[in-house]
Amino acid sequence: MTTEATLPSTSASPTTRQVWTRTRGVLLGLVLLLVGAVVIAVIQSDARHGRLDPRSADPYGSRAVAELLADRGVSTRVVTTLDEARTAAGPDTTLLVSEPDLLTERQQTQLHAATDASGGRTILVAPGSWSVERLAPGVIADPATSLDSTLSPDCNLPAARRAGSADTGGIRYTALQVGADECYPSERLATLVRIPAASEGGDTVVIGAPDILFNDRLDEQGNASLALQLLGSRPHLVWYLPSLSDSTAAGTEGERGFLDLLPSGWLWGTLQLFIAAALAALWRARRLGPLVPENLPVAIRASETVEGRARLYRKANARDRAAAALRSTTRTRLASLVGVPVAQAHAPEALLPALSAHLHGDGQSLHALLFGPPPSDDAALITLADQLDALEREVRRP
Amino acid sequence: MALTGRTALLAAVGSLPVGIWEPSLTGLLAVNVPLALACACDFTLAAPVRHLRLTRSGDTSARLGEQADVTLTITNPSRRLLRAHLRDAWPPSSWQPGTESAAARHRLTVPAGERRRITTRLRPTRRGDRQADRVTIRSYGPLGLFARQGTHRVPWTVRVLPPFTSRKHLPSKLARLRELDGRTSVLTRGEGTEFDSLRDYVPGDDTRSIDWRATARQTAVAVRTWRPERDRHILLVLDTGRTSAGRVGDAPRLDASMDAALLLAALASRAGDRVDLLAYDRRVRALVQGRAAGDVLPSLVNALATLEPELVETDSRGLTATALRTAPRRSLIVLLTTLDAAPVEEGLFPVLARLTQRHTVLLASVADPHIARMATARGDADAIYESAAAAQAQNERHRTAEQLRRHGVTVVDATPGELAPTLADAYLALKAAGRL
Repeated sequence: MTTEATLPSTSASPTTRQVWTRTRGVLLGLVLLLVGAVVIAVIQSDARHGRLDPRSADPYGSRAVAELLADRGVSTRVVTTLDEARTAAGPDTTLLVSEPDLLTERQQTQLHAATDASGGRTILVAPGSWSVERLAPGVIADPATSLDSTLSPDCNLPAARRAGSADTGGIRYTALQVGADECYPSERLATLVRIPAASEGGDTVVIGAPDILFNDRLDEQGNASLALQLLGSRPHLVWYLPSLSDSTAAGTEGERGFLDLLPSGWLWGTLQLFIAAALAALWRARRLGPLVPENLPVAIRASETVEGRARLYRKANARDRAAAALRSTTRTRLASLVGVPVAQAHAPEALLPALSAHLHGDGQSLHALLFGPPPSDDAALITLADQLDALEREVRRP
Repeated sequence: MALTGRTALLAAVGSLPVGIWEPSLTGLLAVNVPLALACACDFTLAAPVRHLRLTRSGDTSARLGEQADVTLTITNPSRRLLRAHLRDAWPPSSWQPGTESAAARHRLTVPAGERRRITTRLRPTRRGDRQADRVTIRSYGPLGLFARQGTHRVPWTVRVLPPFTSRKHLPSKLARLRELDGRTSVLTRGEGTEFDSLRDYVPGDDTRSIDWRATARQTAVAVRTWRPERDRHILLVLDTGRTSAGRVGDAPRLDASMDAALLLAALASRAGDRVDLLAYDRRVRALVQGRAAGDVLPSLVNALATLEPELVETDSRGLTATALRTAPRRSLIVLLTTLDAAPVEEGLFPVLARLTQRHTVLLASVADPHIARMATARGDADAIYESAAAAQAQNERHRTAEQLRRHGVTVVDATPGELAPTLADAYLALKAAGRL
């Protein structure tokens, strides 16, 4: 064991300490990022958290109104679904819809049908033009909002007269219905409209802005008075906060999805199979060591330039050059075969007589073949090459 | 850390009980928690990889085309049995293509406190140094569900030497050399000859070689004979510039030049000549100088092993200057370079005179058999144009060679298979003629 102990460690894997040293910076950064994100989210969302919620004590919550109403014997109940809101509607109930614009078209129609016949009061807080025409038919919203926030009543509605000026400035409405009260006008268009409902004793109140319900605005102007009078006219107040979890928003009631129809055994079995697939992926993804890099040698073929030149000849149809090269080579070889010095191989007067003597042949055709004009087309070039080969073979023949 | 296929298989089989008996989160946990526990157990019981001790031994060099065995000794100092897969990683060119994963991977079992040896067999496909990369070991637990994985660095270098395939020509060339040594005596006195003996005049001998003083002492006319001098100096100059990178057949020109240089060096060192080597492109890539006859070939092979062509234009002026510095006394300078017209005319010609002034210059160049095949191509127009281009290239080579010969340079232009024997023949011819 002593010899093994003296061997130096060759391990290249990082130790736990090294892994910690390397990753702690990144981890610290991630933690800081997360903390920063949470802090920013808290700061940012603080202003809008629990907006118009009667349980929220935030500046834009409405707990103050609810507490004041409770002191006066009005019970406040918060509902978040349309079904609850519809069942709660009744002659002794005030239904406050805090964000009418969040309701879908279908929900708005259903809600209006329920409230119109209930005989209670419905308060719509700042509905936009497309929701007001469904929730309060006969009222039209003006696209331009009022410039001022604080307005004076200027109407015969007793609640408004008692309250005096209030922060209702926001969306402005026109009531077409006879018997409607139009209050707090801004440039002739009202920001608070009360219209009587079809049923006896019921009415609908549309307010252009939610400011009078906010905790931190309640003590200004006649906000508190107006809010308490509008909301406290019936012994029960139902505060409807539309939510996304409301199943009626989807409009697919009664239908069941594919997953609901599947037996749960298949679902859970498939989930387990997915886990197995993930494990298999991890098994296959882990390599037994990384790839080994290596510098590759350059791979250039030495004959590349010659091939390139051949293609250039072909492209330019350089038959003259090609023929000259072929003839020159043949002349050089023939010269050495018939005993003419290589230096004189390209001179007709030196080469041709020696060649004719060797072949006992016709000097004229040899001249045309070895020193003639360039061929006129590719076929002639091929023929020339073949003839040169034939001539060389003949000379070589003993 | 690594999973095994067994883990994934068990998880897949687990989908049956989950789906049939207990399709709920409980069922899912009932299958996966024991599996995770078994994996954790396996991980704990696997022999630790970090504490293994690894050492190497074995071959440090091999000729290209032969194999080298490198042995890895793994000692397991822990108290647990090591069952492992091991990968001894080397660069890809250490093996024939396709056999790498089989050759590098080993299965291994080392009982606690013992050691085992495994042998990795390399069959390199390229010249040069091959350095061992890391050794990766995956140590499995007793259940075979989970494994520890770690790497070790155990450095080792195997030098892959040039194949020296032309050594098959060496016996015949040596026979020629012995013939030359024993028999040849030349009548002309040159710079590379020394006095051999006196013999009787026979008609046909050069009358200038008659030794009148010896003739006066005896009745017959005597002539002096000379024989090639031994102990000459040969400088092999390898051009490793861009022209040496071109591939002829499957290997760069440089490899063919090396092969020829090695044969010539082997021959010359047996002939009693001193051989030096210089490899140069824009700077000295290798220099072997002043080695004893018995040592010259191994040191040349060693120096050439790591030489690679560089994609730069050779600096002929620098090459000449370095060659002249390396060979101060009269010697045979063997230039293993190209015969391409442009590099020779622009680079070599202007400085050639400085070399030929004092030294005998032999220029060897690798010809491309593909161009020779192209030159004889016939048939369609494409083939004729190829043939014409090849003929043009050959003409240019011949012209360059002719110009070099006029400058007094001996030129050897041969295909890779022929270059080494042809160069050796040229050397023997020069030696026989007493021109060394």
